[in-house]
Amino acid sequence: MPVIDHRNVLKGLRVQEAMRRQVIRLPWEAPLAQAIRYTIKYKVNAVLAVDDDQVGLGVVSKTDLMGAYYAHLLIDTPVAAVMAGPPLFCRPTDTLDAALDAMRRHRVHRLYVQGEGPHDIIGVLAYPDIVGLLYRYCTRCDRSLKGKARTAGPPLDRFLVREVMTPEVYALQENDTLQAIMEGLAAYRFGAVLITDRDGRPAGIVSKTDLITAYLHGLPTDTPARRVMTKPAIAVDGGAPLAEALTTMIFADLHRLFVYRDSPENLVGVLSLSDVARFRSGTCRACLVSRIRVGAA
Amino acid sequence: MGLTARDVMDTRFFTLRPEISVGDAVHIFKRASQELQQTVFGLMVVDANENLVGMVSMYDIFLLLRPKHIHIWGEMEDLEVAGVLETACQRAKGVLVGDIMTTELITITPDTHLLHIIDIMIKKHVRRLPVMNNGKILGIVYLSRVFNHLLERLAS
Repeated sequence: MPVIDHRNVLKGLRVQEAMRRQVIRLPWEAPLAQAIRYTIKYKVNAVLAVDDDQVGLGVVSKTDLMGAYYAHLLIDTPVAAVMAGPPLFCRPTDTLDAALDAMRRHRVHRLYVQGEGPHDIIGVLAYPDIVGLLYRYCTRCDRSLKGKARTAGPPLDRFLVREVMTPEVYALQENDTLQAIMEGLAAYRFGAVLITDRDGRPAGIVSKTDLITAYLHGLPTDTPARRVMTKPAIAVDGGAPLAEALTTMIFADLHRLFVYRDSPENLVGVLSLSDVARFRSGTCRACLVSRIRVGAA
Repeated sequence: MGLTARDVMDTRFFTLRPEISVGDAVHIFKRASQELQQTVFGLMVVDANENLVGMVSMYDIFLLLRPKHIHIWGEMEDLEVAGVLETACQRAKGVLVGDIMTTELITITPDTHLLHIIDIMIKKHVRRLPVMNNGKILGIVYLSRVFNHLLERLAS
């Protein structure tokens, strides 16, 4: 592990220290169903489509798969029909700074890592991995969290969920169709939407994963949300410490939670894993890389 | 001493259906292990017409249990983790076999030579191969059986 430089904390890191070596790939002629199974099984947001020589041709994301569902493509359509290509690459020796710049410029959440040969793909650098690094480096850096950092206790116990959350909730109704939900998610560039019952109470959540799973199961797009939503919509108290919210996210395999005030039925905001990471370091001048924000892909 | 899949395949095997949950599949794994008197690490998945449509292995279930944000968990020294395994198990149980099964299948015929079987297992990183004849499942060849068979050969 690299030594932490207190002036340039994450900035000293290179792609090879943050990348994953397991690249989830499938042949470009594989059916969409296989791409959906891979995103579910490997818990990734995108897979790489390759040709017979393992050359990366394109990237198939959950958003692309949702688009295919919306467009009523058959589930055995080859992934090549929806992939975005060509994939973007970085080198293992590139700095994280440069890689993040490339992600921002191209508005993508992942870069593939090119090895020695021109078509040698040795890893993938995904945005959540960088969020993971923030937890590692920022908690050990004494320059972050000025002011509050002087107080005792672990950093994530010093902040409350409501100080970090985004104070708005996008919701649709349980009778709304999956088609309407996909339109909403695409328009707002969200990964999931709250579903409320007829009385406006939280009933569940429909994520891109729920939508593509419905696609895999052959449900028509006019299916009402209540049939596929994940119940309940997991929420945390706005007055809880950040550490508690983070624990809930790790337990539930989620990267976002709803936030309630007074009662779990009164949802007032959303907290994402990257919000927590950004807040840990967002006011910190020690490290520019930590201020990550990549437009939704 | 045989030389082909026919001689090393197990003709008693259990199967899963794609529409059952991982929770139900785990019971079939346990039953298969008991009745076959060996730990079963992977099962074939068949549709209503007994056509082979996938395979589910122990590794697929590991992948499902592994928390998505485990890399962040590893960075947090003070995280309270009591109950995390139970939660992961609960979540995994509801997933359908058909959602996680491997569908890119490599199959062999009863006449596939033992050395070809070894070659496939090495190159494709698989530990079990369904033995098919005209679309019908005849049996399954396990890496362990192949190894035992070869040990006998080497010892003789």
